[in-house]
Amino acid sequence: MAENDFMAGFLDQIEPLKQAALAELDGAADLAALEQARVNYLGANGRFTALMKQLGTLPREEKPAAGKAINGAKVELEAALARRRGELELKAALPAEPTDFTLPGRRRILGKLHPLTQVTEDIVRSFRKIGFVVAEGPEVEDDYHCFDALNTPADHPARDTQDTFYLGGAETEAAPPLLLRTHTSSVQIRVMEKQSPPVRIIVPGRCYRRDNADATHNPTFHQVEGLYVDRNVTVGDLKGTVEFVFKELMGEETQIRFRPHYFSYTEPSFEIDFSSPMTRKMGREWLEIAGCGMVHPQVIENVGYDAEVWNGWAFGFGIERIAMIRYGINDIRLFYENDLRFLKQF
Amino acid sequence: MKVTFNWLKQYVEFDWSPAELAERLTMLGLEVENVQKLEGEFEGVVVAQVVTKDKHPNADKLNVCRVNDGQGERQIVCGAQNFKAGDKVPLILPGFSLPAKPGEAPLLIKVGKIRGVESLGMMCAPQELGLGDEVSGLLILREDARVGQPFSEYLGRSGTDMVYDLEITPNRPDLNSVIGIAREISAVTGNPLRLPEVNLTEASGRVADAVAVRIEDAELCPRYTARVIRGVKVAASPDWLRHALEKVGVRSINNVVDVTNYVMLETGQPLHAFDYHLLAKSAANGLPTIVIRPAAEGEKFITLDGQERALTRQMLLIADETKAVALAGVMGGQNSEINPNTVDVLIESACFKPQNIRATSRKLDLRTESSYRYERGADIGICDWASQRAAQLILATAGGKLARGLVDAWPQPFAPRQITLRHAQCDAVLGVAIPAAQQTQFLQRLALKVEAGPAGEPPATTFGVPSFRVDLKREIDLIEEVARLYGVDKIPATPPRGAVGAHPHDAVHDQLANVRRILTGLGLYEAQGQTLVSDVVARLTHGSALVPLSNPLSSDMNVLRPSLLPGLLAALRHNVSRKINDLALFEVGRVFLESEGQRREERRVALALTGQRHPLFWSGEEREARFDISDLKGLLEEFLEQFGVRGMNYVRRPESTALFLESATVHLGRFQLGEFGLLLPSLARQHDLRDAVLLAELNLDLLLARRNPNKSFRPLPAFPAIRRDIAMILPAATTHESILQVIKQAKPANLEAVELFDVFRGKNVPAGQKSMAYAFTYRHADRTLTDAEVNAVHDKLVVHLKQRLQATVRE
Repeated sequence: MAENDFMAGFLDQIEPLKQAALAELDGAADLAALEQARVNYLGANGRFTALMKQLGTLPREEKPAAGKAINGAKVELEAALARRRGELELKAALPAEPTDFTLPGRRRILGKLHPLTQVTEDIVRSFRKIGFVVAEGPEVEDDYHCFDALNTPADHPARDTQDTFYLGGAETEAAPPLLLRTHTSSVQIRVMEKQSPPVRIIVPGRCYRRDNADATHNPTFHQVEGLYVDRNVTVGDLKGTVEFVFKELMGEETQIRFRPHYFSYTEPSFEIDFSSPMTRKMGREWLEIAGCGMVHPQVIENVGYDAEVWNGWAFGFGIERIAMIRYGINDIRLFYENDLRFLKQF
Repeated sequence: MKVTFNWLKQYVEFDWSPAELAERLTMLGLEVENVQKLEGEFEGVVVAQVVTKDKHPNADKLNVCRVNDGQGERQIVCGAQNFKAGDKVPLILPGFSLPAKPGEAPLLIKVGKIRGVESLGMMCAPQELGLGDEVSGLLILREDARVGQPFSEYLGRSGTDMVYDLEITPNRPDLNSVIGIAREISAVTGNPLRLPEVNLTEASGRVADAVAVRIEDAELCPRYTARVIRGVKVAASPDWLRHALEKVGVRSINNVVDVTNYVMLETGQPLHAFDYHLLAKSAANGLPTIVIRPAAEGEKFITLDGQERALTRQMLLIADETKAVALAGVMGGQNSEINPNTVDVLIESACFKPQNIRATSRKLDLRTESSYRYERGADIGICDWASQRAAQLILATAGGKLARGLVDAWPQPFAPRQITLRHAQCDAVLGVAIPAAQQTQFLQRLALKVEAGPAGEPPATTFGVPSFRVDLKREIDLIEEVARLYGVDKIPATPPRGAVGAHPHDAVHDQLANVRRILTGLGLYEAQGQTLVSDVVARLTHGSALVPLSNPLSSDMNVLRPSLLPGLLAALRHNVSRKINDLALFEVGRVFLESEGQRREERRVALALTGQRHPLFWSGEEREARFDISDLKGLLEEFLEQFGVRGMNYVRRPESTALFLESATVHLGRFQLGEFGLLLPSLARQHDLRDAVLLAELNLDLLLARRNPNKSFRPLPAFPAIRRDIAMILPAATTHESILQVIKQAKPANLEAVELFDVFRGKNVPAGQKSMAYAFTYRHADRTLTDAEVNAVHDKLVVHLKQRLQATVRE
């Protein structure tokens, strides 16, 4: 009986001690208080540890039941300690002041491509989808490649010195004067001279005209030239390609119309107008956007192709003009001022 | 070219509305640039008669008039002096507006008091009504004008009309005429072209007895015709003629001159009228003789506009035996012009070589309606008919008697060009099947004649080209005509055909895009600078020969850029002067160089930095930091590595340059790739730049050629590395590069990487010295290194460094 009493006394102590320990652990205000509570109960000299040491004094047959009871309590206490420690550690990690998530962040800058580059790349991408490749040629040209070979007779208005920049300085009587190309069409000749047909190229590049800078003129500007030479090329092919490219560039709702026009290096020649929600927003049904035509047989012959076998089309347009229409830019000079407030918009 | 709706209707029938006509013309290739409606003109303006004219009681220069407007009398205050009681004048009633002047709002006439006297309307001067030139005073109307008649009716302008301003392409000189445009409409509609009938009553005298013509250079003047009308009365033109001209913006002068202008607009053929008696008689035949000859070098001639002009041998003159009387095809002379006393008139209708007229016109900077037409190519076939038409209208408006016949100097008569059209070729080019008969019909409507065919297999037809179509030269030109009349909008579009183009530049284009992609990724914005720059700025960046323009627009733009840096500097200045101070820009573009007489174009990439390194932030020590040379160097290193170029050397220039305070050249093997550095402070000030400016420029062509884009996988390290740090105190002039060289020479085993992690001067470092700290990483690919073996290697390296660099190693 005395042993039983002892046993009962031991078991009776577990629950109150556990409750006191839980209260102290849960009530610990910070990690230091929690540590103190742990030492008080679970430390080497802690009260709960002391109780566990009494386990050894129990009669052998009672040990399993008592051990089970006190170990259960210990697991519970340790769980409570870990839980509280987790809570208090989290609390300790938070900054003293809550973060203002509305404050502007520390930015990294990603630069931007010039709008003319962006438009050029869009054009290049559309053409590449239909098998065109990018070609180039010199910006400093001679009369032959810029004019003569393009069937532009010597007295054509395009050859006025009013329109064309000529280079000064080093030319001699023997060497013809050089000029800044007035259009990318000169590259047609350069490519066809070097390469046998068929030809499928586009040529983005800088051109120059001797115009004083104003809202719609800059002495430097950009064009894209497209040239397609093959067997049995038709005006219908030209229209189909132009429609494809402009729908890519300006949206699926874009409509295209061709008007007869005159360029010395194409025959027949056309001007291309386009119409879209954008043009209507600008108050215009049709807006002129490009010139084109079937490559003049004389041009085909000038590069040594057989005009009876090969024909083709060419077209060209101003990149600035496309960019101005697309973005609603009203002054061409903005492209060359490189104002950061401008560059950041595209 | 300006033409009116009603004028066109005189020559061809069409049932299009004015708006539809504009659309049709545009789709034919005659782009309508502007349409002006002439309507409601002179609304509220009536013919009125001045009843009384008295001095204004309070103003010397004003009159108070009683005026009959047809309904009754009203009081008008008027400042003009050139009229008297009884005169008929245009009167605008209150509540109506005068025609607007360009760029102004119409002036509304109100009842008002002028110096205390009420005025109920306004009597008008011609310029106030938009009619003709400045005249001081009122427009005095004909005596037979009916009082109360609407003024527009008095002018014969009662109907509406539309003025179309057409852009005529330079290949179609025949469209610089009303008849030419009417012919296009006729061809589209199929309605006949109605040319005016010319029936001349000729007097008995022969023109050949009145004038002789001698062409000295038939190449420059292939045809010259002359007619003479005697006994004209030079006077103001009748209203119909004056209005026809004024509507299309041609000033009325007198009946004879106006007729020549009218017929030029109508037919496209420039005409000139001389006062016959101002032409000197030839000693040889006793007749006034027209000589078409080149000018003498330096010959002086006063044109109709009163300018004395110095001529050259290349210019062609119309002369008599003693003097020049006209600058051929460009402008007449003052010495022979039609004047109020002119009695007999010689009508010139000629053809001149386009290139020569063009050259003369450019050289003298004198462009006229005549030179405009001749330089594009006049119709050699129309000279006689146009001259007859002019004679007819002069007889009708100025009276006189026409001498019989025509003096026609035409050394080499015109042979119509013949062109054969293969009908199948037309279909092949246009991509649509148009029946051969329809092709032929289109061309016939344009006045081409079938000369032969259709014949052959495949069938072809040969056409004769009328003289006015100077642009039709070969088959493709006929195909274009068929396309225009068929309607380009009706040609079906065919989808792009499958095929692949090829050009070596295609891959280069991608690499240039890659350059831009990397640099924007590094936080730089792309700029595009002007190609044309001033030689002064260009010289800062480039020592040797520049490529100048022979005809620059201004000294700001007189050479081709030898470098992209002037453009970037201009961009920095533009932004900083607008308070945008923090800039990181780049440009990819071409520069133009000349060396040993050879001009070449080179692709470059350039970078410019100024202002704050980081975007605006609200905290932190670094936030105010400005770009410095290490930012630029770091950008270059990252860019080059990303682009696939390795192994650069950087060599400091010993001296400042015209551009840089301090700079280095960038080398790759034996090639110099470019340069970078800090802009001279004096130049920065000149460009209004306050912060340090860092500039770099690299030769992209070289980079493209030297780039190694190949990438190959290296296995990830399987064994741990051992790191050893060294901090050395070194002479201040020791470069990082020289330290790396010394380390390399020692060939330490298993050294994987060397990284500089600190450079320090100041406390504990003697003057003239600096401390540099490096981290050395040792690793073996196949096993774990031991401390002992790394220490053996590393200690040897330390000794080597101490000796070779006069370094002390900080412990």
